[in-house]
Amino acid sequence: MRIQEHPILGTYDRGEIVSFTFDGKVLEGFEGEPIAMALKNAGVMVHRYTKKEHKPRGIFCAIGRCTDCVMIVNGKPNVRTCITPLEAGMEICTQYGVSAEPSNGGEKK
Amino acid sequence: MKRYDMIIVGAGPAGLSAAIESAKRGMHVIVYDENAKPGGQLFKQIHKFFGSKEHKAKIRGFRIGDELLAEASALGVEVVLNAIVIGLFSEKEVTVKIDEHVEHVKGDTVLIATGASENMVTFPGWTLPGVIGAGAAQTMMNLHGTLPGKRVLMLGSGNVGLVVSFQLMQAGCEVVALADAAPRIGGYGVHASKVSRCGVPFYLSHTIVSADGDDHVTGVTIAEVDKNWQIIKGTEKHFDVDTICLAVGLSPMSKLCDMAGCQMEDNPSKADFVPTVNKYGETSISGIYAAGDVSGIEEASSAMIEGRIAGIAAAAKLGFITEEECNIEIEKQESALEGLRQGMFAPGMRGKIITETDEGVEVSQNLLKKGFVTEEEIERFPGVTHSEGIHPVIECTQNIPCNPCQDACSKHCIKIGSNITALPAVNPEAKCTGCGMCVASCSGQAIFLVNEDCGDGTAEITLPYEFLALPQKGDKGIALNRNGQKICEAEVVNVRTAKAFDHTNLLTMKVPKEFALNARFFKKEA
Repeated sequence: MRIQEHPILGTYDRGEIVSFTFDGKVLEGFEGEPIAMALKNAGVMVHRYTKKEHKPRGIFCAIGRCTDCVMIVNGKPNVRTCITPLEAGMEICTQYGVSAEPSNGGEKK
Repeated sequence: MKRYDMIIVGAGPAGLSAAIESAKRGMHVIVYDENAKPGGQLFKQIHKFFGSKEHKAKIRGFRIGDELLAEASALGVEVVLNAIVIGLFSEKEVTVKIDEHVEHVKGDTVLIATGASENMVTFPGWTLPGVIGAGAAQTMMNLHGTLPGKRVLMLGSGNVGLVVSFQLMQAGCEVVALADAAPRIGGYGVHASKVSRCGVPFYLSHTIVSADGDDHVTGVTIAEVDKNWQIIKGTEKHFDVDTICLAVGLSPMSKLCDMAGCQMEDNPSKADFVPTVNKYGETSISGIYAAGDVSGIEEASSAMIEGRIAGIAAAAKLGFITEEECNIEIEKQESALEGLRQGMFAPGMRGKIITETDEGVEVSQNLLKKGFVTEEEIERFPGVTHSEGIHPVIECTQNIPCNPCQDACSKHCIKIGSNITALPAVNPEAKCTGCGMCVASCSGQAIFLVNEDCGDGTAEITLPYEFLALPQKGDKGIALNRNGQKICEAEVVNVRTAKAFDHTNLLTMKVPKEFALNARFFKKEA
């Protein structure tokens, strides 16, 4: 959810509204904000599933340290979405395991 | 290979301060930071800082960040962003990854100011989306204008846990509870009190049993722990939440120091594995300095001074200033640093149980366990007095290094004296005019203006208010006590906003006079 007005910070400088896709679905966000923020505001909580246990992961540290939030961005896996700026037309996909493969080939689901 | 007088790793409060001091003295300085924006964590700090004028007290953290950046830029300091220092070798050679290539540079001195990272605790469900670090919550709210969640449980009662809990409420979240496995609140009592009076319950000696949810958090169970930190069965409490925020301490990111071969120590008073440094911040390797959280967890205020000291010392080492000049300058900085390292929360006091203030006043046990001072306890503190007409009531009950209230009052109603950690006392001779500058200048939001008897059976209380929507004159609502419980009806009789208050609005409410000593927050009726 967006904070419209903050008692100390007032309003926020936000970029243009742009469209991107998340697992093929068209969503909107502000250009230049971290991908993870656009997803969070669109209600997306799960960014990836772990390779062995197939456990969900989402935003954890939000500063690019923990790698929990990595996703496939424009075909490239393991992109830290909390520090990667959103661009118009980005194709963002849930990551399964550690590669850009669409599923984790026979591992526990 | 490019060569610099000083290479600084980290553009946070310590790194930028060092860059300013060294550049000021003619040094050719470069600062590398792995982030896309400089300033470290300062731009997420929206509360007013503690300390005295020389520590930039009562200025909000993000404004201090702006000041540092402006100063550094005016001095021509080069800050390279998205630049990850990946190696620090002998002869102070540094490798840094910028975009997809690696550069190799050499410094005649190097400052490591890499800061700290958040600690974590594990429990069943801790990896679920919705479990986040307190720093993540700050980043989302204060940088990106995004709510971390609707209903949040905070784990950790240190200053980070307390400050972020308050910020969550400012952003519009509901904080359902604040839990900590420790038996006593770790952060400043004034930070705890401002959270408590908003109605957040504190659960000390409690930890998280588990987080619920299939693919994101839907709830959390906490339970009491015994002396051996074991969960006591039957004490479980459940909360429906969508977010669990962890604020369980920080650890220095000292790997670069270790890699460079600096002598390291495990120092509990500095919160972990840190480089051994001398009074100039110099490590065991001549010309390699460490400043800020990387050499011991403290506040941003002390990180800035440590950075300044390292910058000045490096300038002397390379002959940009004389030894004599260096000593004079550093002495000034050291006395400022010393001022911050006094009182109940000084680095040397970690883990000690304090029963009395320096003035010999028994500390509030309720404050340490529940987050608020009881009506009986508050009377024994020197800031709490009773007199006719409007007067300040200063609910500041711990020796912390902070004194803006003393300077704020032009009528000299408030006295702390030269010892910055002394409890503020009300001067009975001085006459309060009700200007409210003390209320707005108190970084701990612990000062109220009270007129205990307006003559018509009512009392008026002026309190600091930093929430939206801002109530308006004439609004009716409920007065809450220090514990956040509803005690009586209240009417807003004045709301003052001024540039000098810096977004701390002064809300004056009228309550029946028997509640004058208890009513400490206003809630608009739903």
